[in-house]
Parts: sequence; structure tokens; C-alpha cells
Amino acid sequence: MATATIAAIFVYLALGLLVAVPMAWRGIDRLDPAAARGSPGFRIVAIPGIMVLWPLVLARWSRGARP
Amino acid sequence: MSHRYRAVQWTRHKAVYDGVIAGACVAFVAVFIGIGMAVHRPPSEVSVPILLMRALGTLAIVLLHVVLAIGPLSRLWPRTTFLLANRRHLGVATFLVALLHAAVVLGFYGGFGVQNPVLAVLVRPDGSVGFEFPGFLALLVLFVLAATSHDIWLAFLGHALWKWVHMAAYGAYALVVAHVALGVLAGKPSIFLPALLLAGVLVLGGLHLAAGRRERHRDARGPSPHARAEDGWIDIGDPASIPDQRARVLCIGGGHRVAIFRVGDRLTALSNVCAHQGGPLGEGQVMDGCVTCPWHGYQYRPHDGQSPPPYSERVPTYELRVRGGRVQVCPTPNAPGTPTTPIAIPSPTSPRP
Repeated sequence: MATATIAAIFVYLALGLLVAVPMAWRGIDRLDPAAARGSPGFRIVAIPGIMVLWPLVLARWSRGARP
Repeated sequence: MSHRYRAVQWTRHKAVYDGVIAGACVAFVAVFIGIGMAVHRPPSEVSVPILLMRALGTLAIVLLHVVLAIGPLSRLWPRTTFLLANRRHLGVATFLVALLHAAVVLGFYGGFGVQNPVLAVLVRPDGSVGFEFPGFLALLVLFVLAATSHDIWLAFLGHALWKWVHMAAYGAYALVVAHVALGVLAGKPSIFLPALLLAGVLVLGGLHLAAGRRERHRDARGPSPHARAEDGWIDIGDPASIPDQRARVLCIGGGHRVAIFRVGDRLTALSNVCAHQGGPLGEGQVMDGCVTCPWHGYQYRPHDGQSPPPYSERVPTYELRVRGGRVQVCPTPNAPGTPTTPIAIPSPTSPRP
């Protein structure tokens, strides 16, 4: 059970990383107008947040919504 | 603010704040290891790597206490509000120190083996978990908080949900307490850390209770039922006693607070809740013509609750009126950013409308 829980956490974060790299590079611009003018450092800092929130980020991105 | 994101919105104040945090962390670890080496002389089994992991773990716990104490401290002693302004930096520092602690533990106990080092440390051969597991979960929570600490996630989630998510810091704290308590039962650390943690729990609990008590007392001083007009508008009390460029905060029921700002002889009313992180606008002051949040310096024009360009944050405004020589506020907020007309403070001799 513990092993499965740990594995699930790492799989979730690995999938998040796969989503995060392209999303931080370009996709995030669709989520927030201020992100489109974001610095390269901001895009790197955004990666861990996308890894955590990636299902929500993908859902919001697919709707093309801006907050 | 929201016009352009950078990795860190550096200012001189933030640079000094972070420099102090980094210097204090290095000094703490150095002193901890120095004392540890003096106490645990050879042939003691406590080596430098063990002292390092204990130093980093203890430091992470100390930082977590500071992070959780800043909120109630700023309510009890407003002079400490400056600590609140960059609390997120302290939170990220806490995660990084905890991560270093975990890295040393993994390297020391699980490195260079045939088994996955994470599983080697966290899962016993019989499949059960020990005191390390709550520590691992606490690290995960701290990661979530650090990863979502940037302003873009505040805008993405909205400040209410973001704040709710970041209340998980208390969950991380509970997991840390479990980590240390189970470690004691497993006979791992000395009595020093549990004693320190017990003192921390008592101090944190006391601070939160005292701050909550003060907030309730402050709300209770709001308008009495007699101060409401028949149409529900609320008397704000003596406007002349509001200091210039400052505000009086009224609790208008339902947990809502209105900040009545005075600029010269004019009054305006805004929601007391900053659109950024929910800071108490009424505890700030008017600077450069704008209401300035005491937490992070977000600014709003007093008459329409709108951040000056190029920023786009807005807070609800409230209508004010003069009736019978008294100033009253409408309890129903306007939409965020709605312009209002500032009213003049009625003088005792002015005609009563």
C-alpha cells in the first residue's frame, strides 16, 4: 500500500513534468495575459506549479479561458 | 503585480529579507554542527552527516514555526507586519531546507544500494512505514505550497482558493509533529528536538488563540444594532476621529469588513480585503494618493478601488452618505472597481441634509 502510494505520487508528478515543460514555454500565455510578457526565469519558476496543478491547468488551457 | 511576471519580483527590501534568511540558515547549521561535534566526540556514532541531517531537519521545523507565527504576530503587534510581506519567501526557504534534509537522509541511508533509495528509506521490508513517512508527506505538502507560491497561481486559483490551499501549511506542521513524535518512539533523535517542538506547539497555539481573541473583540466593537438606519445603512461613528490618510474598519455583519478611509476632509469606503492575498487594507495607509495594503504594498485608488495603471486589481467599493449630520455606509458592496463620490466630513455647524 505504501509503495503503491509513493509510486502514484511520483507518476502524477512525472506526468506533470511532461505537461509543464511545453505549458511553461508557450501554453501558459493563454491562461494569464501577464504570463505572455513573462521573463524566461518566470517560465522556469512556473514549472513546479504546473506539475502540481496540471489537470486544472490543462482543463483551463483547453477552454482557452483567461482569469 | 500583474502587468508582467518575473521569477521573483525583487526589490531592495526583498533582497535584504532573503539575504537575512540565507545568512541565518547557514549560521544555524554551522552552529548546530559545531556544537554537535563538540558534544559527540569520537568514538560517538553521531557523525557529521548525521549532524547535518539533524541540523537541516531542526532548521526546517524552526522555519515552519516562524512562517506559522507571522500571521498572528502581525495581528497582535502591527509593527511585525513587515515580516508578513515576504512570508512566501520564508515558506520556499522552509521547503528547500526540508528538501536538503531529505536529500542527506536518502544519500546516507539509501544511497548506493540496489533498491530505490526513496523506498529503501520509507518502506520497511515487511511493507509497513515508519516515522519517515509523515516527514515525506510533510515535504510533499511543503513542495505544493512552494510550487504554487508565485503570483500567477494566486491569479489562477483566485485568492480565496489559493489561501485555502495554503492553509495546508498547518497540515504539514501536524505531519512534522507526527514525524518527530514517531521518531522519538523509534528511539531516533535526542530529547532536544521533541522538547523544542513541544515548546513550539504551545507558543504557536497561544499566539493563534490570542490573535483570534483580539479579532473577535475588534469585530464586537463594530456598529451596534442602534447604529443602523431603517434602510440598513450603518453609522460609521465620528469621522473626525479617523486619522488623515488612514482608515477605520467596521464589521458590518456576515464576516464582512469595510475600511472607511479619510483623505483630508474627504471620506471613501472600500472592502477591507486586498484583491491580492486578502490583506487588511484598513490597516494600511494612503500613500501617493492610493490606499496601500500593509502586507505586500498593492495599491488602490480610494474613490474606485482600482489599482493605478498598468495594474488591474480591483476591490469592491461602498457608498457613503450624510444623514442628520452623521456619516453612514451602505452595507451592500458595489462591484469591484465601481467609482464612488467621496463625501466631505460634516462639520458640527454644517447644515443637516
